[in-house]
Amino acid sequence: MTTTENTKKPIYYGWYVCAATLFIGFVAVGARNCFGVFVVPMSDEFGWNRFTISVAAALGVMVNGLSQPFFGQIFDQTGGRKLILISIVVLGSATAMLALTFHILFLAFMFGLVVSMAQSGSGPSNTAALIARWFKRRRATAISINSSAVSMGGMIMVPFSMFLLQATNWRVAWLVLGIIVLSSLPIAYLFIRERPEDRGLYPDGDPAPLDDPGNATRRGLSGPLEVDTWKQSFRTAPIWQMAGSYFVCGTTTFVMSVHFIPFAIEERGISGATAATIFGYMMFVNIFGALGAGVLSDKLGGTKNWLAFAYAMRGIGYVVLLTVDSVFGLWIFATIAGFSWVATPVLTSSLTADVYGTKALGTISGITFMFHQFGGFGSVLLAGLLFDITGSYTLPFALVGALLLPAAISAFSIKERKYSSRYQTQVPTPAAGD
Amino acid sequence: MMASIVSFILAHQGDAADPELLRWIKVQMDHLVGSGPWAVVAVMGIVILSMPVFIVVVYVMQSKRRSDVAPMNQERQEQERVR
Repeated sequence: MTTTENTKKPIYYGWYVCAATLFIGFVAVGARNCFGVFVVPMSDEFGWNRFTISVAAALGVMVNGLSQPFFGQIFDQTGGRKLILISIVVLGSATAMLALTFHILFLAFMFGLVVSMAQSGSGPSNTAALIARWFKRRRATAISINSSAVSMGGMIMVPFSMFLLQATNWRVAWLVLGIIVLSSLPIAYLFIRERPEDRGLYPDGDPAPLDDPGNATRRGLSGPLEVDTWKQSFRTAPIWQMAGSYFVCGTTTFVMSVHFIPFAIEERGISGATAATIFGYMMFVNIFGALGAGVLSDKLGGTKNWLAFAYAMRGIGYVVLLTVDSVFGLWIFATIAGFSWVATPVLTSSLTADVYGTKALGTISGITFMFHQFGGFGSVLLAGLLFDITGSYTLPFALVGALLLPAAISAFSIKERKYSSRYQTQVPTPAAGD
Repeated sequence: MMASIVSFILAHQGDAADPELLRWIKVQMDHLVGSGPWAVVAVMGIVILSMPVFIVVVYVMQSKRRSDVAPMNQERQEQERVR
């Protein structure tokens, strides 16, 4: 037995990058998710009505969605590390400064503009693009871990802020949340590196190919449609297929975020607590859906097939929701939709990187994210409008649910074997440091 | 229509931040912990801040393995090149 075999392999550095982005996403998205907790106490103190405070939040939604492509471009041009570090400083400081809120305009500026833009810089879209550089064979798995931060942030940070609010007051609570966001700065500073080359490594911790070690890393990450600018990607079919289905993803998830509980109470006749329990269960299940999608995609391949499967499953969930007129139908829907909820962003991010490479990935992901947000915004408004007209959620849910069929077909028809880098290069064998 | 916009905006800030869900979570947590809010804040705060500590501890614990493996990788690559 050789000395090499006796020595245990160290954890690949990319996993530390992944763990760091997980924590950044956890605190950054989590702190932002807490906004809903502050609506009532802040409104009570300043005498704002629900609409007034929502204007600040609305600005945040718009700024977050629209600024993502621009921050994606900065990410691509600067490499990401500086952008993420600066974004954390701004996000943490601005969150803490919300404790000083004295006027609705201050809240609109600080939360709607500063916090939302900073969140675009350090958000899951950019961190997923960063992770994509560090992994190839395990890309989907790593992105799924990164994406689960969003769900974890909602599940832990929101209850935390509720109890903090109860123990103190909203000003102290904002200050503490800001400090928690800033606590991710050391971990980001220590572990975030832009590329494996920065640590003398190769993606996934694989060994250097012997024939051309100097260029092996970059060549290994290249897809046949690899682009240098985002504009080039939009001249090809896969990005439209993915963006189109991602639009439907936003459409079908956001509409449930807003209208599921009212639907369950009003049209299925269950209590608010039961409706909330089912919704909470759906959010819990989505963590496993995200992780499962990433692992399955990496182990078995065929990312576009899993993506199509996730959309199809969600479509079946919608059919069950509308046809099974009982609380049982709601639970089935929550299970099916929960598993596909975050699986689709994970698979879309991974497939985008596999097809277009990582040079312009931040911008491309930012643009597809914008499609997702537009779909969500439109569907929520449409559902509200149709509910007001028809007095029921049946028509709006049926309409958005029906979109899942073309979304699944669109995803399934992506020529992954032709365009994905996974099917173009020989997969290297794992080595020490993996 | 306006109600839809408002509820969308609030819900968009996080799925978990739905008011009904928040109430439910709080009731469940109160039942589970049965203590004052400070106890929950302390426990959850420790959980949150233990994450970066855990990452650093694992990294430090692995430092010896990294330093052992690095020269061996270099040596092996040299041997393969010579071969």
